[in-house]
Amino acid sequence: MREWIAVFKRGIAIDNPLTVLMIGLCATLAVSTKVEGALFMGLAVIFVLGMSSVIVSSIRHLVPEKVRIPVFIVIIASFVTIVDLTMKAFVPDVYDFLGVWIPLIVVNCMILGRAEAFSYHNPVRLAVADGLGMGSGFAIVIVVLAFIRELFGSGEIVFLGANLLSLPDGYPAPGILVLFPGAFIVFGFIVALTAWYNRRTTGRTVETSAHCTIEEGGR
Amino acid sequence: MRRAESTPLNMVTAVLVTCAVAATSLTLTYEVTRERILAQERAAEERALRAVIPAGEEFEIVPDVLDEAREAAGDTPVGAVYRVTGVDGTFIGWGVRAAPRGYAGPIQLVVGLDRAGIVSGVSIITMNETPGLGTKIVTEEGWIEQFVGWDGSDIAASARDFDAIAGATKSAVGVREGVVAAGRVYEDVLMSEMGEVDVP
Repeated sequence: MREWIAVFKRGIAIDNPLTVLMIGLCATLAVSTKVEGALFMGLAVIFVLGMSSVIVSSIRHLVPEKVRIPVFIVIIASFVTIVDLTMKAFVPDVYDFLGVWIPLIVVNCMILGRAEAFSYHNPVRLAVADGLGMGSGFAIVIVVLAFIRELFGSGEIVFLGANLLSLPDGYPAPGILVLFPGAFIVFGFIVALTAWYNRRTTGRTVETSAHCTIEEGGR
Repeated sequence: MRRAESTPLNMVTAVLVTCAVAATSLTLTYEVTRERILAQERAAEERALRAVIPAGEEFEIVPDVLDEAREAAGDTPVGAVYRVTGVDGTFIGWGVRAAPRGYAGPIQLVVGLDRAGIVSGVSIITMNETPGLGTKIVTEEGWIEQFVGWDGSDIAASARDFDAIAGATKSAVGVREGVVAAGRVYEDVLMSEMGEVDVP
């Protein structure tokens, strides 16, 4: 159980897919203009990552090495399509906002990366921990990013049609925050914050990996 | 347990079985969600149509004129043309669904025209404009009402008198293009069509 928690926690802090591993960034920067969209994106990723981890890990002995990538992609694409159809049916407004980014989860290297680097080599129990941990790490960062960008960039937070929080009327919303440069600026601060937190808790500097590199074997 | 060897048979079996299971589960999901998805789309469209022609009761798609309408609209994609009738079944106007290009992808909107071709309202169904800037086409109070009263039979003249929004020029011009397209559809297609369709 301790091992399970350790693996889960790695995804959130020390191996956070966004702020440390730096994978799956394009979707993150693009959809983090609204908390509502970001939250559902986070949930979608948790579901896809969790489910694909379970399946990949449970059939890992049956899938020959040479065809593993096509098999992973089919599995991931199936779960993404399930999310896509479900969101279209039940939260159409959010679906419209997320648009192409939902189907694009299929090619998000975070999901394939975890299947390849972790689930394919580890028992189901740990693969679940990794999938949920990485998914949650993604969701937390994207929601925080969206919260800052939406609140300070447009002056209010609208969630499923309800106004959750708004700044005083005279607040001069700096539009740049909701534009692309704002995503990079705010994200930079979050990366710095995570690095600082990770250094404090582990007592060493955690290297930020280059885009799309994944460590072999996991654990 | 050892991993399955990469023999041709193993590889083919692994991929085929995965695909079959995936296809089955997707079919099931599709079956479960299909009705709801269709209902959601119909509801969104009907809401938009009601907003642009409040007196409308029945919104009936006119498939025959769609090809001509698309030609009339030029570069702006037209999704559907609706014939709108009131509570007592009298013909009261038209709805045109168009998808002009905004700053971030198409802006799906519906334009309502009364029987004389005067724009009675514009309603945006979906868009992906920048929050806080492009979204002003919806949130800016009174902005979208400027199109009310534009004359579909001479849309080019009406379009000269147009207020964009600072910081959201492309989004605003996108909406204008949608209205212009609807006007052109009226001018070129619906105006002459009216006699035939309107016979009780």
